[in-house]
Amino acid sequence: MDFLISDEVKKTIESRALKVDDIKKIIDGAEASKDKITNGSKCLAKKQMGDVVVYADYSAEDGKIRINSGYAHKMKILDIVMDTADTEWTYVKNGAKVRKGHTNLSYLGATRSAPSLVDPKSGESWLEEYLAAKTIAVAEMLFSQKRA
Amino acid sequence: MAEKLGETSALCPVCLKTIKAVKVAEDDKVFIVKECKDHGKWKVQIWSGVEHYKYLYDFAAVLKPPLKYAVKECKDCPQDCGLCNQHKQHTCLNVVELTNACNMNCPICFATANGCGYKYHPTMDEIRKMFRTVVDHVKSPRVVQLSGGEPTIRDDLPEIIKMAKEMGIEHIEVNTNALRISSDIEYLKALKDAGMDSFYFQFDGIDDAIYMQTRGRPMFDVKKKAIENCGVVGLGVTLVVTVSPNINLDHVGKIIEFAAMNVPTVKGVHFQPITYFGRYPEEPEDKDRVTLPDLAAAIEKQTMGMLKADNFLPTSCSNVHCDMKSLSVVLPDGSLFPLTTMALGPPTRTDDIADKTRTEVSKFWRFIEDTMDGPSEEEDKSWKTFVNRAKTHYLTVSAMAFQDVWTGEVERWERCCIHMVTPDGKLIPFCLFNCTSVDGETIYRRKSFCPHSVTL
Repeated sequence: MDFLISDEVKKTIESRALKVDDIKKIIDGAEASKDKITNGSKCLAKKQMGDVVVYADYSAEDGKIRINSGYAHKMKILDIVMDTADTEWTYVKNGAKVRKGHTNLSYLGATRSAPSLVDPKSGESWLEEYLAAKTIAVAEMLFSQKRA
Repeated sequence: MAEKLGETSALCPVCLKTIKAVKVAEDDKVFIVKECKDHGKWKVQIWSGVEHYKYLYDFAAVLKPPLKYAVKECKDCPQDCGLCNQHKQHTCLNVVELTNACNMNCPICFATANGCGYKYHPTMDEIRKMFRTVVDHVKSPRVVQLSGGEPTIRDDLPEIIKMAKEMGIEHIEVNTNALRISSDIEYLKALKDAGMDSFYFQFDGIDDAIYMQTRGRPMFDVKKKAIENCGVVGLGVTLVVTVSPNINLDHVGKIIEFAAMNVPTVKGVHFQPITYFGRYPEEPEDKDRVTLPDLAAAIEKQTMGMLKADNFLPTSCSNVHCDMKSLSVVLPDGSLFPLTTMALGPPTRTDDIADKTRTEVSKFWRFIEDTMDGPSEEEDKSWKTFVNRAKTHYLTVSAMAFQDVWTGEVERWERCCIHMVTPDGKLIPFCLFNCTSVDGETIYRRKSFCPHSVTL
């Protein structure tokens, strides 16, 4: 599979301590297994890698794969708390319409909810980038770095 | 059966000469044992919980030595401090005393303010020289605590703060009894406008019976009013509690509760187990002391387990047995949600700790900037609500066990990162500077300040 990635996106991914090669591996796996959601113009796939859930945001471009972004969170995804409305996303693996919802996330013994994309049928949840890279990242930082 | 934990050097409480000392474990306590051939033998408890004492060494930071040494060659640590070439850790907090006069006359005073026989009240030029010592010897971010005596008796304090900022000192905190700022809000505004960052408040309890013992007068209303004024002006406050087993150890839970109810103006509670230097009534026994583990246990019991002993970690910048710190988010009902826990284990990047600690002192002792955005979501149990609250409604509960002439040891002094700045251009560990013999003689305080003082 051929990949396209801008310097800016590469820099963002690396600034999050992620490897571009890992993002490519996630995309390879998602394309093979269909374990991804799509809104028609782009796809979002996730994979548990060690203690971290890593996401690949990508789209097809001239027969190649354009990597739009990569991000991650350390929080463990638990159960879906609620689902509230349809979205433009579809879970390719089972054809279900992905809904807007809230999912419980746990980290170092604390469990609280966060907005998410959910598929109540399979129980799967995905966190969008704005949340993983901001609110959740700050919460993780509060726990893991304040010990110093 | 006593177990020897290590050898060190210490001071004779009578003659202040350097003497050999050993640390021993006995009955699940750690003692420092020392003997002066002229004045006798001492055995003083310094810790409770032997395994905990040993485990904390895993939290020790990779040390970063000072940028410069005022004393090139040390012959007899801790007698020729300045810092010297044997000192192992750089400076995190610089303490600059602006006067030894005070508008109170407390029965217990580490600085022996008032009544020490000389008046120390440095001129602007002398203060500038001390700030220059900080700028020359300490890497950015530079944190200075203006202390005394009582620094707010100086009408020129705003100009002093302004000068410090102009010289490149990033964070200024003022150590105060809060008397003046409880009644003089114009002065408070002038301090804020000059660039000061936060206050370090003496705060012994929420009961005037305590203040009668520690300060000789009721003070709780004064403290409340001063906190209110700081809230109006927008200055953060750390409540600094001298903890004595005979006076207020059984009030630490209530103090934390009071602090939690007063966030975001109150940023933290800093407990200081009573240290016997400066002015104190009589030679202390072990029953007159509180070790850090004893304090942590009292906090756990009195907060009904809301803040557990396990939530406290050494900052790892000073010696690991000098301090402990916790950080909690204060939830809407006033309860604490601790973010720190021993279960996380020793930090993985200890070389980074010193910088982090200094940045944290600078960063978390004042109001946190709003750094987050994103779509709103108001659910109480959400991570976003939690994080939003953590931006302002957090509470640091920390403690520092200062060393006095009985408990002090070179192993801790040489790793100290809290330093007094002297008028003759030296930096000296705070505890060492204030060590006082049974006869009231000091190892450094008097000889550092007297040449710059007026004899009374």
